[in-house]
Amino acid sequence: MEVRVEINGNKRNVENGITVLDVLEKEGIEVPTMCYLKGTEHFPTCMVCMVKDLQTNKLIPSCSTIVADGMDIISNDEEVVEARKTALELLLSDHVGECNAPCQTGCPAKMDIPEMNRLLAAGKFDEALMVVKKDIALPAVLGRICPAPCERACRRRNIDLPVSICLLKRYAADHDLQKLAPYLPDRKKLNGKRIAIIGAGPAGLSAAYFLLQKGYQCVLFDKNSLAGGALRYAVPDERLPKDVLDEEIEIIRQMGAVFEMGRELQKDELETIRKEFDGVIVATGEDNADFDGLDKRHRSFIVERLTHRSNLEGVFAIGSAIKPGRVAIRAVAHGKEAAIAMDQFQKNKPVKGDIRMFTSRFGRMYEEDHEAFMAEADDYPRIETAGDEGFTLDEVKSEAARCMHCDCRAKDDCMLRTLSDMYRVNQRRFFPKTRAPIRKIFRNKPVVYEPEKCIKCGICVKITSMQQDDLGLAYIGKGFDVEIEVPFDDSKLKLLEETAIQCAEMCPTGALELFENERY
Amino acid sequence: MTAENHIAIDNIIRECGSDKKNVIPLLQGLQDHFHYLPADVLKEVCRRTGITPAQVMGVASFYSQFRFQPTGKHIIKVCTGTACHVKRSGLVYDAFTRSLQLEPGNQTDPKGIYTLDKVNCLGCCTLAPVVQIEDTTYGHVDVEGVNRILKSFELKQSNSKQKSSILNNTRKIQGEIRVGLGSCCVASGSEAVRDSIHSAVIEKDLNVRMKRVGCVGMCHQVPLVEVIPKGKEPTLYSKVRTEDVSLIINKHFRPQGLWQKLSSSVYDLMTDIQTDKNWDGISQHHLQIREKHVTSFLGKQKPITTEFRGAIDPLDIDEYRHHHGFKALESVLSSISQQDIINKVKGSGLRGRGGAGYPTWEKWEKLKNQTNATKYIICNGDEGDPGAFMDRMLLESYPYRIIEGMIIAAYATQVKKGYFYIRAEYQLAVNRIKEALRICREQDYLGENILGSGLCFDIEIFEGAGAFICGEETALIASIEGNRGFPRLRPPYPVEKGLWGYPTLVNNVETFATIPYIIRDEGDNYNKLGTPNSKGTKVFSLAGKINRGGLIEVPMGITIREIIEDIGGGVADDKNLKAVQIGGPSGGCVPSWLIDTPIDYQSLKEIGAIMGSGGLLVLDETDCMVDIARFFLSFTQMESCGKCTFCRIGTKRMLDILNSICSGQGTFRALEELERLAQSITNGSLCGLGQTAPNPVLSTIRYFRDEYEAHIRGVCPSGKCQDLITYTINDNCIGCTKCAQNCPVDAIPFVPYEIHTIDQELCIKCDGCKQICPEDAVLVS
Repeated sequence: MEVRVEINGNKRNVENGITVLDVLEKEGIEVPTMCYLKGTEHFPTCMVCMVKDLQTNKLIPSCSTIVADGMDIISNDEEVVEARKTALELLLSDHVGECNAPCQTGCPAKMDIPEMNRLLAAGKFDEALMVVKKDIALPAVLGRICPAPCERACRRRNIDLPVSICLLKRYAADHDLQKLAPYLPDRKKLNGKRIAIIGAGPAGLSAAYFLLQKGYQCVLFDKNSLAGGALRYAVPDERLPKDVLDEEIEIIRQMGAVFEMGRELQKDELETIRKEFDGVIVATGEDNADFDGLDKRHRSFIVERLTHRSNLEGVFAIGSAIKPGRVAIRAVAHGKEAAIAMDQFQKNKPVKGDIRMFTSRFGRMYEEDHEAFMAEADDYPRIETAGDEGFTLDEVKSEAARCMHCDCRAKDDCMLRTLSDMYRVNQRRFFPKTRAPIRKIFRNKPVVYEPEKCIKCGICVKITSMQQDDLGLAYIGKGFDVEIEVPFDDSKLKLLEETAIQCAEMCPTGALELFENERY
Repeated sequence: MTAENHIAIDNIIRECGSDKKNVIPLLQGLQDHFHYLPADVLKEVCRRTGITPAQVMGVASFYSQFRFQPTGKHIIKVCTGTACHVKRSGLVYDAFTRSLQLEPGNQTDPKGIYTLDKVNCLGCCTLAPVVQIEDTTYGHVDVEGVNRILKSFELKQSNSKQKSSILNNTRKIQGEIRVGLGSCCVASGSEAVRDSIHSAVIEKDLNVRMKRVGCVGMCHQVPLVEVIPKGKEPTLYSKVRTEDVSLIINKHFRPQGLWQKLSSSVYDLMTDIQTDKNWDGISQHHLQIREKHVTSFLGKQKPITTEFRGAIDPLDIDEYRHHHGFKALESVLSSISQQDIINKVKGSGLRGRGGAGYPTWEKWEKLKNQTNATKYIICNGDEGDPGAFMDRMLLESYPYRIIEGMIIAAYATQVKKGYFYIRAEYQLAVNRIKEALRICREQDYLGENILGSGLCFDIEIFEGAGAFICGEETALIASIEGNRGFPRLRPPYPVEKGLWGYPTLVNNVETFATIPYIIRDEGDNYNKLGTPNSKGTKVFSLAGKINRGGLIEVPMGITIREIIEDIGGGVADDKNLKAVQIGGPSGGCVPSWLIDTPIDYQSLKEIGAIMGSGGLLVLDETDCMVDIARFFLSFTQMESCGKCTFCRIGTKRMLDILNSICSGQGTFRALEELERLAQSITNGSLCGLGQTAPNPVLSTIRYFRDEYEAHIRGVCPSGKCQDLITYTINDNCIGCTKCAQNCPVDAIPFVPYEIHTIDQELCIKCDGCKQICPEDAVLVS
């Protein structure tokens, strides 16, 4: 038997007894879901799968509404989007957790610091370096001169002193440079496009580093005879030994960068360069000259935020040339951002720059949160090194183990985050003035349970009851205060291992996650 | 665990069953025995039954009836229902907290004697604010009376009761004394009055028939005693005290003439009652039913569902039969086809009285058309609305009428099994229904082959465990099935797939109670009452700032003004009407300028209220509308089952905004956000609770936006929101020191014969000084 429905204005005959979600999926229309567990009795809780039925002019949860004759479904209009967005914003107002750690958010280059720390603590230095070099072109250099905004954001500050992130990064980089063949990032096949980079300082070098990986040929023009810009000519040797700088520039050269040194471009030469190359990145530093046609205010070129696009098509500007101050980490971050924007421009994609994924935040840390945060960190004080010495191998492992891992175990695999990003939600909209303290419960190893991240979807309750796991998880309490808990709060109880792993896999957020990660 | 406990657990399991579906009765049994649910007892139960810890704790923690901590010897229940709230029960609760020296987070006093609790509604709205300790209910409690209540309770504990005697049937009966034993009456002390009458009757050696009767509806006059000397006019006494009993009896059952002298004009006594505020110290009055002012209370009413109120003993089946009882059932069984019954119900225009107003006949017809051999009928008596007690009164007073309605429904829809789902707090109702069912079985109205007609039908009682959401039919069904009261998505509707997956009819108590009349109604009288879309009558509980509150049954289409002015005798204390809240937590506020609106489904909906279950709360100029909205929203927020995002978190966020507005922290942007969020919750919620939860807020914003804006500017125009008011003492002060002595935090220095002052730093705004001041010298600004 079939029923007749309309889907976004298209008449369809569909199978009787299936859900609206099934129908939409068959039509190839994607509908977001979180609490939906295929093959189980429906139990809608999250409400992000809402669609509109024009027949009744009501919003319905598509995952559990059975199709009926005459339904007139609109899957994605403004009202539907607004409802989904509001549902997500409500969930986020009760979601006390952070996707990315504050240190990563605070790092201009957005390096995944907790991941580096975990690998360093496990002695996996090569892997740690790869994490570093995913976002930072000159880590050995920055490991010496970076003002470390990440450490200002480090939550360990609330307990004692921040993790010594900068020196940890330096260790990873130095360890790599000591090798005969230091790490060379993978490069895509050459795509035949050529980019001119004016200025071989930290910003220009960084832009080249990322563009080369994307398959572009890069030519760097610089008035000086040696590359490095302000790093070479403005930073004293005792802070930054020049051999370290040379070694990291050498890596970029090995990646294929061409250096035209001693070549100061004149005002009118930009036009010529633009014709010769597919794109231009201006990274001429703080005391930069003018170029014809390139808009400037005071001493800085004017560019669009995030993309670094200038008023001239195909010309991007970065580093101290757009914002004076000679902050090396910022210059390096700009290089990465401009490379991404340039790539989008070259591929005729919308130029949006390095779009950051949504990250949940909760603001200040409370005294009551300390226990949960320290649960996975070593509690000894920050290791200080004498003078300009870096860490020893033992020190690096110990210091890295001080990291509290403020990032979420599920940051790369969280439906709440993915959807929040997709629907561009505003977490602050309903976020309360006071929030629940953060808990991390390890009672149910092999999983970690973080109740404040739970969205009460009920999937784990369903799984444990289907598996006939006697211990089971249950909804405890009701209303806003409802929690998913092991009954009787008995520390001796734990979930069956198999069920626990399944629950962690199916949890749409980072509330239930596997404790161990084979990477570390 | 002791051997004794093991035996107790065994017995309870044997009695209540060991299956998952029995988990609620099982937990109720355990709590009855242990007074709370100790974890080791629950674990033991899991070991002995097939019920898992997840099921036991999931269910137990959902229902508010269940406790996990030991309690004190006595439980003090402060009613926080709507009527009590507007009469400031919150302050009374705070006063108990101080008086019992409760520590934060602990509801039991250090000595372990009392546990303080809030309850949603004790159903004695006309006596608000109400406090119950064990079986004793105290009405009209004020902050200052809290200590007196504790003392009086302790005194009562030390005096044990004694009584017992039997009516001598061999002698000539001299007359009848009727004592109202509805909940309001009981709460106001009618049992003690009955005991006194009983002793007096024995003492004086009279042969008088004593009769309990259900609710008369005049709850503002309780306790009510009606005396009917044989062959004479009945006399109704209101607000009777035990010490009055002997006088009353002497009047009627001794030489005549005495009582007539004492009769005074009803008008005078009404005025007297209006201004009386104390819970003790009320003198008795008697009312002649035919007198003008009582006539106005009863005159515009139309008792159909509450037919013969105050005249019949709830459990006397013969008397019920004498008052047309079971006539409808008999005629149905003998001469009316099933389709004709449904047509008759259709012709009456009856719509479900539970709130949503779905046409009753449609549900019946759908159930009838279900070919399933197994079908169920459920009478929904889970009245949870704070400030509504119609269902309770009907269950207590007219058990047979409701049962008759259910049997007729069972016959019309071919159902063999019915359930009463009754709130656990309604113990009296549960007991009466239990007894009524037993008698009905005895008398062949229930069971196999009813009255020889071949009809087989029986009814079981299921006691709810304290969850407002279980008034929603799918949640109610989940609850009977032994689950948390999570509503299910409809369709499928219960008439298609209900209890245990079988077709199920869920009707409200009032709906069933109306059925016998409709079947008997030859001249379509029911249909002639009311308006085109709302037929017949509706029972309301009229409470709040009204002179004559109580239970009323009125024809649809009556205006709100007629109810307030004619039936209710106007706003109490000569105050001005501000609004009427209709429909409780799902309803809305009707402002004073719209009180000529007729009561019917459509008209109420148009002005942003709903019929709901029938709470009618009168608010005067001193009531803060933002506070009222906050009150209702905090109720629904607490009672949300917590399943869906919009309701679980959305109502909490709305409450956050309302709290900030009430404490002067609100912003105009937040007010706009409040409206937007309210709309999202209405649109995005699955069940009625969530869909209607924003109504009280939306309707008050609609009609009283200025009050919201005033709060945002830092002023509570009615002086109710604690963070926005200050207490000061003006020149009227005579220096009597009463306030200084009474102040719980010593914020008023003791200065006899001088004008007193309040230290604002210390003041906790408990309102105690204002209540005790004999000169009205305490100002709130």
